[in-house]
Amino acid sequence: MIAILICQIALSIALASVFLIRPALTAATGWKMVAFVGLCVLPALCLVGGMNTHVQRSEQTRFCVSCHVMIPYGQSLYVDDPNSIPAQHFQNHRVPAEMACHSCHADYTLYGPLNDKMQGLKRIYMQYVSTPPDPAAIRIPGGFKNAQCLHCHLGARSFQENPVHAALIDSLKSNQLSCLSSGCHDTAHEIADQSHEKFWKPVQ
Amino acid sequence: MKLSQKAVWRLLQVSSAFVIVGLALEIVSLLWFHPLSFVLFAFVAASLIGLGVLVYLASVVFAGASSADTRN
Repeated sequence: MIAILICQIALSIALASVFLIRPALTAATGWKMVAFVGLCVLPALCLVGGMNTHVQRSEQTRFCVSCHVMIPYGQSLYVDDPNSIPAQHFQNHRVPAEMACHSCHADYTLYGPLNDKMQGLKRIYMQYVSTPPDPAAIRIPGGFKNAQCLHCHLGARSFQENPVHAALIDSLKSNQLSCLSSGCHDTAHEIADQSHEKFWKPVQ
Repeated sequence: MKLSQKAVWRLLQVSSAFVIVGLALEIVSLLWFHPLSFVLFAFVAASLIGLGVLVYLASVVFAGASSADTRN
């Protein structure tokens, strides 16, 4: 996919170079059309393609953990602990492994992806301009919303047939009771000290 | 606004230069797997490409205006 986009960009650069060197060619009607394609249509398509590629790439797990402060969070996905919610989701492919972070940390709303990108830019600012936070001190503003869990689990048979879930479903939907911090599923990214943890090594 | 043909060609060259540099930076951002690659694309490459397209459209408008003036 990126290869096709790069070929398109190369073609666009080649066409633009023609008009950089010989702008007088546009005196002819045919070349006017070529100039329109080379300096307007193709660059616009390259922009759309580039934005699409970058947005898709920023949803990948390896993109998220390419930031220094996220490395321990990436490592916590491999913790050998059946109670660790992120590790169990990641290791058992309950979320796509290559999009593990985005599956649970993106808002599933109309402007969710846009909000995520704005948050990401804020974090890049903190990383390179301001002071990067201590990884263990990072907290999700407003706490982790149940909607992120219910987006997949609501309507699932094992979730619905669980008597505890069935009794609390209204409180869970309204976020009055947190899936993570109400004492039920409270092991998530315990990164403060991972030195004593055992880690799962996937077979290559 | 009247522009000579040479000035229109100059605008085309400026537009081409912006587009070429912007697209080259887009290639760099696509091949560079780093959190800053998105910033490079969104704030530098996209701005340069957009500027190049705008300058090209301006050249088309001014070229049209100058040729209409010539006919009158």
